[in-house]
Amino acid sequence: MTGKEFCHFYSRGRFFTIETGGEYVLGRQESARGGCMVVKVSNLVKRYGDLIALDHFQLDVEQGEIFGLLGPNGSGKTTAINCILSLLSFDKGEIEVFGKNMTPSSYDIKRDIGIVMQNVAVIDELTVYENIDYFCGLYVPEKKLRKDLVEEAIDFVGLGDFRKFYPKKLSGGLLRRLNIACGIAHKPKLIILDEPTVAVDPQSRNNILEGIVRLNQQGATVIYTSHYMEEVEQICTRIGIMDKGRIIALGTKEDLKGMIRVGEKITIEFLTGDPQDHVEWVQELPFIASVTTQNHNLLITTERGHNGLGSILSAVHDRGIQVGRVFCELPTLNDVFLEITGKELRDQ
Amino acid sequence: MFWHIFKYRLKSTVRDVQTIFWTLAFPIILVSFFAMAFSNLENISEYKTIKIGLVNTQQYQKDTMFQSHITAVSKDENPLFDVTIYDTQEAAAAALSDKQISGFILEDATLHLTIRSTGIDQTIMKEFLDWYLQTASSVNNIISGNPAAGIKLSGILSENVTYIKDTNTGTNKPNNVLTYYYALIAMTCLYGAFMGSKEVTAVQANQSAQAARLNLAPVHKLKVFLSSLCAVNLIQYLSILLLIAYMAFVLKIDFGNQIGYILLASFAGCCAGVSFGAVVGAATKKGEGIKTGIIISASMAMSFLAGLMVAQMKYMATKSFPILAYINPANLIADAFYALYYYNTYDRYFLNVGLLFAFSFVFYLIVFLLMRGQQYESI
Repeated sequence: MTGKEFCHFYSRGRFFTIETGGEYVLGRQESARGGCMVVKVSNLVKRYGDLIALDHFQLDVEQGEIFGLLGPNGSGKTTAINCILSLLSFDKGEIEVFGKNMTPSSYDIKRDIGIVMQNVAVIDELTVYENIDYFCGLYVPEKKLRKDLVEEAIDFVGLGDFRKFYPKKLSGGLLRRLNIACGIAHKPKLIILDEPTVAVDPQSRNNILEGIVRLNQQGATVIYTSHYMEEVEQICTRIGIMDKGRIIALGTKEDLKGMIRVGEKITIEFLTGDPQDHVEWVQELPFIASVTTQNHNLLITTERGHNGLGSILSAVHDRGIQVGRVFCELPTLNDVFLEITGKELRDQ
Repeated sequence: MFWHIFKYRLKSTVRDVQTIFWTLAFPIILVSFFAMAFSNLENISEYKTIKIGLVNTQQYQKDTMFQSHITAVSKDENPLFDVTIYDTQEAAAAALSDKQISGFILEDATLHLTIRSTGIDQTIMKEFLDWYLQTASSVNNIISGNPAAGIKLSGILSENVTYIKDTNTGTNKPNNVLTYYYALIAMTCLYGAFMGSKEVTAVQANQSAQAARLNLAPVHKLKVFLSSLCAVNLIQYLSILLLIAYMAFVLKIDFGNQIGYILLASFAGCCAGVSFGAVVGAATKKGEGIKTGIIISASMAMSFLAGLMVAQMKYMATKSFPILAYINPANLIADAFYALYYYNTYDRYFLNVGLLFAFSFVFYLIVFLLMRGQQYESI
C-alpha cells in the first residue's frame, strides 16, 4: 500500500480513522484482498501428544468482517481461538493480532479484544451489574467511563430488568446474554465469540445473532465459531470451514457454494410405484448430477449453474407419472462440507 | 485495579454461603457443642475433701498402723478425708442416713466400708481401703521375715512421703479442655484452605472458564491472584476473630489477656490455612471435589494430631514423632495459643508463629512456581 492510506478502528464507542503512518496503528498489515488485517495466523501447529489439533492452520481476518469459523465438534475451532488468544501454547507457527506478535503479556493488544467463551464465565455470587462491572473493570480503570460502558452493555443485551439478579436466577438464554455483555462491555475492536449460542432457545439465539451484527455495524471485527451452519450463513461475511485442524474451504457463503458441483437439490415424492424405477431415465436428463432414492422419494441434484426443475417436471408430466410433493432447495454449507470431506457437518 | 479486584472478591466470597458456613458458622456450632459437653467436666474433676465416719472399735484402737494411715490422709491443708469418730456403729449409720458423711469404716477382724450410694467419694474410699489392705499385707509379710525392717517400713509408709513436687511454672493452671478449643481454632484456620484453593481455581485458565476470561484481560494473573488472596485472608481473619470473640465473651473460654499476641497468632494461622489451600489448588489439576476432599482430609488429620478429638493425642504424637510438633500447622496454631495461655515467656509462642509464617512463605513460593506460566498445554 502506498501514499496516504487509512485504517478504520472502533474503540470506546467511536470510530477512528487512522493514517497508516500514525502511532496508533500497532503494525498495520494489508490482506491479499486489500483490507486492514486484524488477525493473521500462519502455519499454526498444535499437538496434544500424538493428536494433531491444528495442522498448519492459516487464518486472515480483516477489519470490519464477521468471520465465521465453521466446523464439526473437535475440528479445532476452539483450540485455534485459544492459541490466537495466547491461552494455549503451540508447537509451530506465528500469530499476529493488530499487526503485532501476540504473546500472553501483550496487554496493549488484549485491551482491544473481547472474548465470549463457549462456557458461561461469570461469578455466581455477583449480580448481573456487578459481573459486567467486574470484568469491564479489568480493561477500563476509570469509574465514570466504566459506569457508562456497563449501562450500555446492559441495554445492548437487554438485561435492564435483571441488573440486580444473580446468575443462578437467570434462564439459559439470559445467562448467555450476560456472558456476552461481560465480554463486550469494554467496547473491544476485535470480538471473538466461541459457540455463544450452544444450548440457547431460538428466541435468545436470534437476539444474540442480531446483537453480533449490531456490534459489527458499530465497527467491531468479529470472529464467530460455531457448528451451526445456519447461524454462520446468517451473519458471517466470510466463512472458513474447518476439519481436522485445517481450514478446508474459505470464502463468502456464495463462494463456498460455488466450489461444489451441486446446483440444486430436488426432491420428488412418488404416490405410486417404486421410485427406483425412475432413476435411470431421470439420470439421462440434461444437467443432472446425481439421482438417489429414499423411501418414496427421488432425490436429484443438478449441476452447478443449471436449473433442472423445469425439465424434470416436464418429463414427469410427459410420462403421465403421478407425483406428490416436489421440493427444490439450494445447496447449504453442509453440502459443501459433505462434498469436500465426504461426511456430514452435523453428525460429527 | 488492585482495589477493584479486591472489592469484588471480597463481595463474592462473603456471599458464598458454603464458604461462610465452613469458615464461620460450622466452627461456632462446633465450639458451642464443645462448651456444652465440657461444661461439667471441670466441676467433676475439682478436688474436695470427703467426709467419712470411723467407728471407734477396740480393734481400731489397737491398730496403730491403720490409725497412722488415717491420720496421714486427714491432715494437711487439703486433706483427702475429713474423719469423724463415732462411738457406735449405730451412730455412724445415723450420720450416713443424714448424709453427714459419705460412708463409714468399721474395723473388727477386718475392715468394713458401709455406704448408701455409689459415687466418686465412695469409690475413693474403697480405693483407699484396698490400697491400705494391700500395703498392710506386704508389711506384715516383711515383718514376719525381718521384724526390725518392718517397723522402719511401717513408719515410712505412714509418713506418705512424696519425692516429686508439682510446681506451676506458668501464669495459669494447666487445663486439658483448652487443648480442644485451641485445636478447634486451628481447624478453623486450616479451613481457610477452601478459599485459597478457590482463588487459585479462579485464576488458572485450565481450571475454570472464569479464569480463562481473567487470563485474557490486560492484567497479570498474579496481580489478580494477589488481590484475591488479600480479600480472602481478610475474610478468614475476621471469621477467626469472630470465633475467638464468641469463645471469649459468650462461652467464657480463657485466652489470657494478651490481645496483641492473640491477633498475631490468628493472623499467622489464617495465612497458613489459606496458603495451604492455594498449594492444593495449584498442585491438583483435578476437579473441585478432589481438592475439597484433600483439604478436608488433610485438615482433619492435622487437627486430630493437634488434639481436636482426643486431647492426649497432641502429647502422644509429639512424644512419638517430635518433628510432627513442628511441621503440623494445626499443632503450631493450637500450641501458639496454649503457650500464650500457659507460659510466662514467649519463646515457644514465637517459635510457633514464626514457623507458621515460614510455612506460609514456602507454600506461596510453591504456588508462584506452579502458576508463573501464562500459557497452558491444554485447557
